[in-house]
Amino acid sequence: MATSLPVNADERVGPVYLTAAEIAARVAELGAEIARDYAELEPVLVGLLKGSFVFLADLSRAMQIVHAVDFVELAGYGGADTGGHNHVRLLKDLDADIADRHVVVVDDVLDTGLTLNYLFRAFRLRRPASLAAATLLDRPYRRLVDDLPVRYVGFTVPDEFFVGYGFDLDERFRNLPDLHLRAAATAS
Amino acid sequence: MVVENPVFQAYCGAEPPNFQNESELECAKILDFYGIPWQYEPRTFVLAEDEDGRVLEAFTPDFFLPEQDLYLEVTVMKQSLVTRKNRKLRKLRERYPDVKIKLFYKRDLQRLAERYNLDLAS
Repeated sequence: MATSLPVNADERVGPVYLTAAEIAARVAELGAEIARDYAELEPVLVGLLKGSFVFLADLSRAMQIVHAVDFVELAGYGGADTGGHNHVRLLKDLDADIADRHVVVVDDVLDTGLTLNYLFRAFRLRRPASLAAATLLDRPYRRLVDDLPVRYVGFTVPDEFFVGYGFDLDERFRNLPDLHLRAAATAS
Repeated sequence: MVVENPVFQAYCGAEPPNFQNESELECAKILDFYGIPWQYEPRTFVLAEDEDGRVLEAFTPDFFLPEQDLYLEVTVMKQSLVTRKNRKLRKLRERYPDVKIKLFYKRDLQRLAERYNLDLAS
């Protein structure tokens, strides 16, 4: 059933940057690549909530190997709103033990690498067999932490904000099948 | 302008940092938040000298991240300042090719906030 999505309900939802078909083709390639690399290893895909849930759902279904799925959620940087001085922490931890498991963290977008760096440091303490990351979007030119095992990258993207395919705009429009540019209103 | 400091956990400099503006303070808070060890203005790089060795131009990046061996210069969105800082970074890279330095844009801060739907004071 075709669904009419109210893209025009918010003028900040800009033009399509990547179509659903383009994303699907690339995610299929990534899924096949991960399946090849982790054949017989039964990896755990760990989605970083909330932005990665759409990507993870598609990636998981593109992997024709046995694997588990889990999620974590981090309390993000709150700046002045939270007094500006607390520390990153897990709001939702993994459900399963990852000791001796092969873990692939699935992220929606990677830029500074600060979030992933924290997560990898936390996960390493649990002694997984291996740690790697897959990200749908990458802005390598914004990286502050370079030594991250980011093995799978969907698209290298320009310095823009996005909405759709898991990316939200005030918690809305995560369900848009295409990836849209966000208008500059809040990004200027 | 001197900005009042909170207590930092990941700061590893000798003297208390003396931030020049709110953007620098915000960057320090982010680094601290993510547990990234940092120093504030630990080194000044000479960019140009006259024939007698007198310093004509120098540049002191705002932050140094020892674990990343990376200098950071904080910048705001004002394009004239970004352009000026980019010029200094280019000079620094030419004269010190082994030194890693990056600009930390206000947009990076916005993205960290966007990710968690936070409304940051600018």
